[in-house]
Parts: sequence; structure tokens; C-alpha cells
Amino acid sequence: MERKLRGRGMAASWYGIARTATIDRAGAWAELDDGGTAKIVTGVTEIGEGILTLLAQVAADELGIKPSEVTIGDNDTARSPEAAHAGATRQTYMIGNSVHLAAREAKKHLFEQLAEHWGVEIETLQSFDGEVWANDTNLRITMEEAVAICKGRGVVPVGSASFTAHGTGLDPVDGSGSPWQTYVFGTQVAEVEVDTYTGEVQVLGIWAVHDVGRAINPRGVEGQIEGGVVQGLGQALMEDYETVNGHTTTHGFAKYILPTSLDIPQINCTLVEDHDPLSPLGAKGIGEPALVPTAPAIMNAIYDAIGVRMKSLPATPEKILQALKSKTPGREQYVQEARAQRAQSHRG
Amino acid sequence: MPKLKIDLEVNNRKMSKETDAHKRLLDFLRDDLNLTGTKEGCGAGECGTCSVFVDGKLVKSCLMPVAKASGSKIQTIEGLSDPGTLTPMQRAFHKTGASQCGYCIPGMVMAATSALRENPKADIEEIKERLGGNICRCTGYTKIFEAVELAKAVIAGDMPEEALNEDDVGDSYIGHNVRRLDAPSKVSGRLRYAADMKMHDMLQMQVLRSPHPHAKIISIDTSEAEAMDGVVCVITSNDVPEQTDGFGVFVHDQPIMARGKVRHVGEAVAAVAAEDLVTARKALAKIRVVYEELPGVYDPEEAMKKGAAVVHDYAPDNIVKHIPVRKGDVNAGFANADLILEDDFSTQQVEHAYLEPEAGIAYVDADDVVVVISPSQNITHHRHMLSHILGLPINKVRFIMSPVGGGFGGKEDMIYQGMLAVVAMKTHRPVQLNFTREESIIASAKRHPSRVHYKMGLKWNGEITAIQFGMISDGGAYGMSSEGVMRKAAILSCGPYEVHNLSVDTTAVYTNNTPSGAFRTFGGMQAQFATESMMDMAAEALEMDPFEIRRINMMKIGSRTHTQHKLTAASLDRCLDAAEKESRWENGPPNVRGSKRSDLGGDDTRAPCTLGARFKNGKSTDKERVA
Repeated sequence: MERKLRGRGMAASWYGIARTATIDRAGAWAELDDGGTAKIVTGVTEIGEGILTLLAQVAADELGIKPSEVTIGDNDTARSPEAAHAGATRQTYMIGNSVHLAAREAKKHLFEQLAEHWGVEIETLQSFDGEVWANDTNLRITMEEAVAICKGRGVVPVGSASFTAHGTGLDPVDGSGSPWQTYVFGTQVAEVEVDTYTGEVQVLGIWAVHDVGRAINPRGVEGQIEGGVVQGLGQALMEDYETVNGHTTTHGFAKYILPTSLDIPQINCTLVEDHDPLSPLGAKGIGEPALVPTAPAIMNAIYDAIGVRMKSLPATPEKILQALKSKTPGREQYVQEARAQRAQSHRG
Repeated sequence: MPKLKIDLEVNNRKMSKETDAHKRLLDFLRDDLNLTGTKEGCGAGECGTCSVFVDGKLVKSCLMPVAKASGSKIQTIEGLSDPGTLTPMQRAFHKTGASQCGYCIPGMVMAATSALRENPKADIEEIKERLGGNICRCTGYTKIFEAVELAKAVIAGDMPEEALNEDDVGDSYIGHNVRRLDAPSKVSGRLRYAADMKMHDMLQMQVLRSPHPHAKIISIDTSEAEAMDGVVCVITSNDVPEQTDGFGVFVHDQPIMARGKVRHVGEAVAAVAAEDLVTARKALAKIRVVYEELPGVYDPEEAMKKGAAVVHDYAPDNIVKHIPVRKGDVNAGFANADLILEDDFSTQQVEHAYLEPEAGIAYVDADDVVVVISPSQNITHHRHMLSHILGLPINKVRFIMSPVGGGFGGKEDMIYQGMLAVVAMKTHRPVQLNFTREESIIASAKRHPSRVHYKMGLKWNGEITAIQFGMISDGGAYGMSSEGVMRKAAILSCGPYEVHNLSVDTTAVYTNNTPSGAFRTFGGMQAQFATESMMDMAAEALEMDPFEIRRINMMKIGSRTHTQHKLTAASLDRCLDAAEKESRWENGPPNVRGSKRSDLGGDDTRAPCTLGARFKNGKSTDKERVA
């Protein structure tokens, strides 16, 4: 047998967006502010995924200003409306839509005043990138001027919104129910090289395809997929929190092994955009689903490379060597049995 | 405390300072100079978040005693560029989206800067090797590599400086790569996480943790600790109202501090608040706890047996939650199968390993509101629980989520905020608690380990006729998110396939192990690892391509899910098509084709890692060669 063997495997996956088997909700406030800027206030935002930037994009796009002109007030139970928690792949879906709707309401108040001021139909008004105009007219001003006009007429352009996702609880006997209103799907392919002397597995390539509904910030989505894939790789091959009679033997990072820059495959992301029909933004989410298919895709690739099926994670070098050593020649029993049965049934 | 005087230069400023002799360079920079861009991630030289330059060489400042730094020139993240400006490397991190939570990023920027200082022409293999001492848990490193290569090209003049500018967005801000608004503060080290914050008159807290996995607490004597100079208070469960004590995401089974007994190693038993950290640590050693050890239970299947030690009185069978899902007639489905596969799968407990250990501050404000600042992923729920426990109106409890240095579900549990609030209310002074890495690892929840017994029936044409899926998970000592994790695992169990007959059971069990809780996918990956392995085995047995067998069974619009929810949208067909095409997949069954495949290698894969890239270009120093 050659020392280093390569193989490929794939896995598919699915996931639900936002809180499970319950109603989920998130609130937001919006204000078009002096200088053509905006304030957005919502309960829970950034834990590193990039939601702050996404919310600024969503608000800016709806209001017609730049993301850098959006100030977000957040993460304070006494100063911002409830948006529940940062988890469950719910931030883009729940808070993104809530901010979108709040911004829409603030803009509506601005446009009502401006339409009256200009004597045009409100439907003709548009805004983008700090400018407001009425279609088919020469009327065009900056957002700063528009806000000043609105306030001069006695109105502060504010909005608020709550977004709801309708999940239902599960039946206690048969588990039936509609736990989410929106699902995502994904598929990943892994290519590995296995060193049959050391048992070490290197993942050389991952092709990650995920439905995200609508990519608000494609680079941010890729970042989530890359991070998820590498956490999946860590769980697949090296990470193992161990305890002996309740005492951990992996106290720190010297014992708890994590992926580093040298373990990283080339990650090729492809985004599928199947817009969510139940929400104004059409976006879904990616944080958690990105991780789901990675470990099985890697295990299936290891099987393709060396013919041993790793059914217990992580597939450490020790376990790979042990599996290679105890492997019976040829393929596993069930395959031969299945082929024989299948051949017989076809004859029959 | 013994003092010492050191002379050194930090970020081009000469200084002569008296400091505590026990300090590491990291403590001196953070505490004495308030240069909090240098972070502590592990305190053991393993993670690189504390990287600085000492006389031009990249050094992990947690490993250097401050005395050793005397006479050196130190450069920290704050010294890389003038305030308000960014270096090309920092701009490249901003441009590419290389920072997510940002906690590892100052150290990563230092390592990347060092890589190009050592060798401005370093190739990607050398860059990866030079970043090898710095852990990032969020990004998967990919955008970091892109950033370093971009900075390299700009610095070398191979690309114009404009390459660092933001991409044009065209006519919409949706669907475009708007740069992260929070990146400048992260790449420059300016963003302050909870452990970086200081308040006037602030106390430091330390926590006494259980050395036993299961033991009765006979007595706790805090008198000697309380009598120490500099100790302001010591708290135990006696300081928390007994009737209302208890938090958790689904079942409120965890007291703020152990009450009557400890259920896992590392559980909080008492906490000290003192004028300074050293005094608080010393005081822990003066608390006398008498334990009576109890038999423990460490395996979920053992825990369900009659006569096993009981972890919580309310659950004499040790079961946290069992979720059943039933659909169709599973016996008929198996009877109708041409082939039945049966196997077992298991997954391990996994640590979140966010680079920012837990940290927090609490104080009572002028309106008598108890304020807790911490990187909590669920301030809404924490506020509810804490107001209930402390018997305060909900508007008298305020939670502020500080910048989260990685969470992944691991910061959803209120494992320390209650102690901070109790001390703040008792002393009316601000109080801070910063976990060590070791403390974070033993006290925080992990990913649920799983054992799955799987039975799948199929027709010769690849159609699944029935699935029986049983999963047992070790929930550890407290309920935390176990119920929700079992529910999600059950709902998703049989994968993205329409299965007409199925029987699914997921069960989480109490043991005296480190608790399991929320972790990115919430049970979804454990369940689908088993399903996707079975699908591969089925494809091999039926001599089918793995994409093909999935297409035969996949959920489509109109399919009914395992919980009988009729889908109005489904995109797996598109995902499978795209993955097959993008990966240049060679069709065929998973029958160990391995190296005979035609689709291996190519520009969309990397070369296998062989160490030593940094020595190949003749640029390394003698010191490095010896190392």
C-alpha cells in the first residue's frame, strides 16, 4: 500500500432558522437623524458574525443612506427593545427583518412629509446613498435636507417594528409540529490525504454549498462558512474534551487540540439563494448550518481513501492506525452481503 | 507585594516604572499601561492573543516575566500605527473581513506583521507557518491568509494601495461586500472586551470551585478569608434567596453557587471580592469547605440504570429530557425493505474554545439598578432569571452585552453573572471577574457527546423505507440547553430526506461530568453525522453514487418533514447540483476508489502541509533554525 492515500467524500444537511418549536420575535427602533444619518436600536447584535454591518446595510438600503451613516445602539436590556438572544442562526432572519421594517416605517414618515412639501405622490419618492428624489421630476435633495424639511414640519421620522417567526411546539407523543417557518439546506464535499504510517489526515479541499436565502454580505457569509467548516474539521479530526471520573484531562490548549493555520483546507464556497418567501428581506441564515456536513463529508472521504469507516469522532491518528490494523481484507461484510442479495433479487 | 523597578521603551516611549514583581509582561502592559489591545487568551503561550514585539521579535507576552522585559523595546498593537490610522496589514484585515469576534485579531495582526517583517516575500506556506502559533476560532483562517497576501502585495508595490479600499457597491447595499464597520476597532486593538474594562473603585472577584465531581457540602467556613486585609466580602449560596435560586435555559436546576452539594468538578462554591486580584486569590485558600464525597455517575447509560447515583432529586431516573418523533409505520417500513443496515456512531464532548474567556463587571447604579456587563449571548433571558432569583422588579436588573470574543453557544449560560450581581448588591461597589482559561474549560458547557444506534431500511433502488434512530447524550451535571439540543437533534435526525416511516428518540441524561449545553448546531451535527455516514454506507451497499442516493430521497417542495411539517420551499436539489459541479465530482459509488479517482487535486485544493516552509527561502535566523 502506498504511504499517502487520497480520497473524497460528501455529505448533505439541513437546518432550521431561528428559535426551535416556538414563536420567535425581535424588535427594533429606527430614526432618520440630523445630517441624513440614522439611529437603529435593537436588543441583541454582534457576537462576531458581522451582524452589525449587515444591519447597517439593511437599514441603509431601506432608508437610502450609506451603511457608515447608520449608528446602532444595541445590547442593553434597559435601553433597547427586546430582540431575544444571539444564537440559533436567527440574527439575520429575526433582527435583520425587524430592522428592515422599522427603517421602512421611519422612511414612510419622512416621505409623507416630503410628498406634501413637494406636492407629489408619495409613491414617486425614492432614496439611495444619501439622496432623495421624486421620479420624473427635477426634485432631488440630500437626505440631510429631507430630514430638516420633515422636522421643520414638526415631525421626527421614527419607526419601530417587531418581526415574528411562527414555529409551533412538538406533539409530546409523535413529535409532530412545524418547528420553524424556514429551512436551509447544504452540501459539502471533502478531499483528504491520509498518511497510513502516522494515521494523520489532512483535509486538502472543501466545497461548501449552502442555501442562505439571500446573501446580504457575501463575504460575511463566506466567513461564516469558512469558520464553520474549520470547527467541523476540528471536531472531525482532533478536538476531544475528555474527563476521567468527572475530572478533565484536557485543562488547556496544550491538551485540547484546535485547528491552526496549518490545518486549513482550501475552502470553496458556493452560495445558493433561494429567497425566503415569508420575510421581507428574503435572507435566511448560515451560522450553524455551515458546520453540519463537514465532519461526515471528511469521514466519508477517509473511507474513500483507506477503506475504513470512522464511526466514532474524532478520527485521531491513533484511531485511524488502529482501524487500519484491525481492518479485514476487502470491503466490509455488509456490502458483500448486500451485493449478493441484490444480485439474487435481480435474478429472481 | 514585592516591587521592582524596570526601565524599558514601549511604543517608542521610554519609561521607568515601579511594578509588582510577580507580573508578566502581559499584566504590565494591560494593568499598568492600560494597553488592552494585547489580550489574554490562555495564559500558557498556546493561543497567541497576547503577541507583542520585544526587540523586534514576536513574543507571547504571557510567557515573559516583566523583569525580563526591562531594558527592551516593546511594540504592541497600539504602537503599530498612529492613533486613528491603520497599517496596510490592518487595512487588509479590514478589507477582506479577516476579523470576526476580533479577540484573537490584535495578536494575529502582530504575527502577520512579524511574518512579513521576517520575510517580505514569504509565500503562502511560509505565511501559514508563521501564523501557526496564533489560534483563531471564528474565521477558519481563510480570510486572514487572504489579508496577509493582499498586504504583502501592497507593501511590495505589486498592487496599488487602492486595492485596500472598499469595493464599489453599485446601486444597492444588499448583496455587496460592505466592509465590517467594527473591523477598525478590532484590528487596532481599540475595542474593549469585558476584561479590558476598568471602573473606579472596582473590586476583583475570584471563585472557589469544587474539586469533587459529586459531594455533599457539610460546611463552608469563610471567616478566615473575610478577616484578611483587602477582602471586602465572601459570598456563598447563603447570600442567594433559596426559594428562587436556580437558572438554566430550559430547566432552572443550577444554583448561582453550589447549594448543599456539588455536582461537577469546577462548580462554583464560594466567591471572594477583594481590593485586588492577588488578595482575592490568596483568600480562596483560606476558605474551609468540608465535603462528604458521594458516589458519582459518569456514563449516561449507567446513569439511566436502576440504583445509579442520582444527580438531581427532581429527576430520580437522571433523565433531563426525552424527545420522541414518530411518523408512519416503522415496522411496515422495515418489512418492506430489501436491505437493512444497522450501526452505531458516537461523537465526543467538544469545547467551544472561544478565545475570550468569560469575564464580567457588575455594579449598582444611581437608580438602584443592578447592572451586569458581560459577553452574554442571552441578556434578555439572563435579565428575567436574575430578577426572579434576586426578587427585584425586572427594570431594576439591567444586562449589557459587552463585545463577545467568540460565543458559539458557550456564553448562553448564566454561570457567573449571578455571583457578580450578588457582590455588587452587597458592597455597592463595581466588581469584576475574569476567568482563566482553565476555569473557563471546567466551568462552561461543552457540545453534547452522542451515541447513536441507527437502523435504516432501503429498497434496491435506493429509496429509504424506514429509519429507527436512537440517541443518548451525556448532559453532564446541569440541564442548561440539553432539552433544546435533544429537540433539535430529533427534528433534524434523519437528515434532509423524506422518510415515510420513522421512529426517533433522543435522550439527554444527567451525570457528574462537565455540563453539556448549547454549541453551534445544537445537536444537529451529532445527528446528521450518523445519518450522512449511513447514507454513504447505503450508497456503497447499493453501488450507487452518493449524490444519486441523496437525490432519490431528498426533501422537495411539498415533502413532509420528520415532524410532518409540509415544506413550501426546499433547495437541496440546487445544493447537490452545485456541489457536484463545483467539486468536479467523479460519479461512482463510495467503494474506496480513493487514489484512482480522476477528480483529485487541482487549483481548488491546497498542497498537503509539510513543515519547514520558513526555512526554505534562506531568510530564517540562526535562532529559528535551532528552534
